[in-house]
Order: sequence, then structure tokens, then C-alpha cells
Amino acid sequence: MKARKRGSRKHAKPDGQNYVFRLFVAGDESNSSQARGNLARLCEEHIKGRYKIETVDVLKDPSTAYENRVLVTPTLILLKPLPKVTVLGNLNDTKQVLAAFRLTLVEL
Amino acid sequence: MSNQKLPYRELETKIKEAEELIHALRTGQVDAIVGERQVTLVRLKQAEEDLKNSRDQLRALVANMLSVREDERALISRELHDEFGLALTSLHLGLSWISRKLTPEQQSLQEKVRSLSATTTSLIRSVKNIATDLRPGVLDELGLVKTLKSEAGEFERHTGIRCMFKTNAAQAKFDRLAAVAIFRIVQAALTNIARHAQASRAVIALMKRTKVLILTVTDDGKGITRNPIANHSSLGITGMRERALALGGTFAISGSRSKGTMLTVRIPLSRIIVGRNEGGATQT
Repeated sequence: MKARKRGSRKHAKPDGQNYVFRLFVAGDESNSSQARGNLARLCEEHIKGRYKIETVDVLKDPSTAYENRVLVTPTLILLKPLPKVTVLGNLNDTKQVLAAFRLTLVEL
Repeated sequence: MSNQKLPYRELETKIKEAEELIHALRTGQVDAIVGERQVTLVRLKQAEEDLKNSRDQLRALVANMLSVREDERALISRELHDEFGLALTSLHLGLSWISRKLTPEQQSLQEKVRSLSATTTSLIRSVKNIATDLRPGVLDELGLVKTLKSEAGEFERHTGIRCMFKTNAAQAKFDRLAAVAIFRIVQAALTNIARHAQASRAVIALMKRTKVLILTVTDDGKGITRNPIANHSSLGITGMRERALALGGTFAISGSRSKGTMLTVRIPLSRIIVGRNEGGATQT
């Protein structure tokens, strides 16, 4: 019981936004749509209430993508907590994505 | 110490990013490439799928068209045989009856009747040939193996090109539509030999293996060149290929000046054999 409380304090933040993601997509293209859906599902399942997702559509805003050195879509960048992590692709591989965001051991 | 490590870490990160990028591209998980001035959509995978779907639809359409055409040919063949054949035979019998009733003095009438009778006989033969060409009755009556044997004999008689037929599937019972498809492939192959091969000898082989039926038609002619093989307007070859593919099989044709032309069709037994009859070799 105590351990669980400590664990929850470890990730709790006053503003409720421990994880900040920026997802670069290309409109409603197949991989982009999958990435959107997969990210929303993963966040709801593993860090519910503690995440924020900013979505950038490169078809409407290519300059932001270029400034962020995004080469392809979909690209997901974990901005917070640091260090920054970048994951490419449609995020279908749940285990890989969770591992990349250092969520595997804590949350699974 | 940490400053010395920095370039290595950066390099390591760059390599990891490059590997991820390659993986994403290879696995078709990228749908746009972001450039300084423009974004390029990557729809190669979708385009490939669309192309495959389009081909599949076209193939199904061709298979359906071939099937409909065979049905229509069979119908026309039956109509020709039943309607014209019967009427012409009656006419022929009537002319014979009149001929018997004429007296020796009616010389000019006798000649006219004889001439009409000869024309009628010729018409009966023509109708029979057209009906047989449209739908070889022997295929329904005697089956594929005997029909191919007969076709080889006819081909030899008409063209003077020695034609041999061999098989180890004499006792096999073939699906009706599949038998028609194989027969038409052989017909088209023999037509090509007669028209283009300049061959002196042809061999048709229908061999049953464990899981496939292999049809080969070979000749000792000048050998097919690449152009007609690749040319999609070469309807004979396209038709043969489509018939083979419609049966879940494969089609290949190759040629060389020294060896002539070899056509090979492989069809899964499950798509062509009815029942479990085995063996029985035939050679002509």
C-alpha cells in the first residue's frame, strides 16, 4: 500500500501534465491516423490524466516541422519529462513505444 | 571527460535516428517527407495495393468473360447443330427422295438435284466443322485426354507438322470448366505453332504430378522472341495466361532458335481434378 502511494507520488505533478508529446502528422494519411489513435490509446491506458498532446499537421504547418528537424511523418517527440525522445512511425508497436518513453517498467 | 564523450554520444544518437528512419521507411510507416520548402506525400504502399486490387479485379473480370464466352459458344454450337444440322439433313434426304422419283428422261432435273445435294452435303460438313470449332463435342463426350489426342491428330493432318500427345492422366476426371480452359490453351498454342513457329514437330504433354497438373506444348521451330511474350496486345498469349491464372495456376513461355518454343502451364490438382482417379498413360 505504501509502495503504491510512493509510486503514484513519483509521477504526480501539480499541473497534471507530466508527459508532453508533440505529434507530427500529414493530414488524415493512413499512418498518421494510426499514430494519432495509438498515442491517444496508450496515454489513456498508461498515463491517464497526466499527459498533453500537441498535434502538428505538416500539410498545414510545414515550417514548425522543419524547425523541429522532423524529416518524416508520423513523428512523435516526447518533450517532457526530459530527455527528449523521438519515435517514428505509426506507433503500432506498443511495447517499443512504451519502452522508448521509459514507461515499461513503471507502468506495466 | 563529459566534453570528450559528447561527439561520440551525438554520433550514436544520429546513427540510432538514421536506423529508425530506415526502419520506418522500409516498413511503410511513413506517409510524408518533410522538406525545407515542401512536404511530399508517400503513397507508394497504397499505390501498390491499389494496383494489386485493380489487377485482381481485372483478372476476375477476364475469368468471368472467358466463362461467359465458353457458355455462349456452347449455346451457339448446340443451336447450329440442332437447328441447321437437322434442317440440312432433312433437305438432303428430300433431295435424295426426289432424285429417286425422277425418270431417266428427266436428265436436266437430275443434274440440278445432284448439284443441290452436293451443296447440301458441303453445308452439313461446314455447319459440323463450325459447331465443333465452337464447342468440341468430344470434350463433353470423351473427356479432355481423348480430345487432346484427337486435336493432335487433326493438327497433324491439317498442317503436316508431326504432333505427339503424351499423358499419364488418362484415367483422371477433369472439372468441366478446367478441361475447357486447358483445351483452349492447347488450341491457341497449336495455332501459334502453325502460324509462326516454322516447326516440323510438336509435342503436347499433360502430366499429373503429386500436387500439380503440368501441361507443356513444345515445338522445334524458330523459337518465340521476347517481343510477343512481353506484348500485351498479343491476345493469344494473354488469353492463355489468363486462363491458367483463373485456375490458380502459372503460365510460362520461352523460346530459343536452337530449341524452339516451350509453353508450360502448371495448375494445382485441387482446382482441376474431380474425384481421386489415378494413373493411366497414353501416348500417340
